[in-house]
Amino acid sequence: MESVAYAWLASGLAIGMAALGAGIGMGYLVGKGLEGVSRQPEAAGSIQRLMVMGIAFVEALALYGLVIAFFLVFKT
Amino acid sequence: MEHFLLRVVVPLSIGSLRLDITQAVIIMWVSCMLLGLLFFLSVRQVGMIPRGVRNILEAILLFIREDIVKRNLGLEGTCYFPFVATLFLFVLISNWIGLFPHSFTATSNINVPAALAFLVFAYVQVEGIRRKGFLGYLRHYAPEGIPPALYPIMIPIEIISTLAKPFSLAVRLFANMLAGHMVILVFLGMTATGVWFLKAVPLCGAVVMAMFEIFVGLIQAYIFSMLTAIYLSEAVGAE
Repeated sequence: MESVAYAWLASGLAIGMAALGAGIGMGYLVGKGLEGVSRQPEAAGSIQRLMVMGIAFVEALALYGLVIAFFLVFKT
Repeated sequence: MEHFLLRVVVPLSIGSLRLDITQAVIIMWVSCMLLGLLFFLSVRQVGMIPRGVRNILEAILLFIREDIVKRNLGLEGTCYFPFVATLFLFVLISNWIGLFPHSFTATSNINVPAALAFLVFAYVQVEGIRRKGFLGYLRHYAPEGIPPALYPIMIPIEIISTLAKPFSLAVRLFANMLAGHMVILVFLGMTATGVWFLKAVPLCGAVVMAMFEIFVGLIQAYIFSMLTAIYLSEAVGAE
């Protein structure tokens, strides 16, 4: 019973910390992207495309944590 | 969780090797046939001016050729265009077909992205050997401009990074697809419980997540083929 509680705690911590790191990274990405667009509005298209690609990379890191969290919840 | 487990439809095995036909295999056949049908319908048209579904296919293929293949591999890399385009379209159709109710996302099972990533890995190594020769291929593991004293450190790092690429390629696609569909499942599970006037909130969440999944499926297909092109350009490109 106690191990199940630890698994639930660990799953919460896994997604929370993964989202923390990914959130910081995504904030940097979007902030710098907006800075670039406001500085050079004619390059908005290519900046936006690169930014979305970078966001997908960062998001994958958070999703690793989400998958681990799901496994911890459902495997117990 | 049981929505993401494989169900055996036709048991099939050779000795101890299990080759069961599961619902994921059937969904992959369906997506292959769907792609084949789309291309059959659009290729059958004659003339230069596209009509109907051929517009979409031409736009997608042009995007893959110009933005993914030529940007990374240059003009002579166009011979890799069929491989990259096939990967893109298969991953895209597999991601999107899982959004239909009672369907199954083949890419949310780790075996399918792992097989695709292993295919990419093997193809990149074979192309690297074929284009540069075996010695030139080995030279890739000891980059230029590094003093030979560092080779005992650099060569294992290069080998590990080469082996980690297909792993990250597979896990990225798998994790995105599994997590996205799992979030939809959790939202829909919430609608089964709770008071009736609060059930609309998770339902709206599920709808929004389903729309987001359309976007994520496209982005993941783009990233998968983009990384394939980048790995190919590393293996094949300028030494």
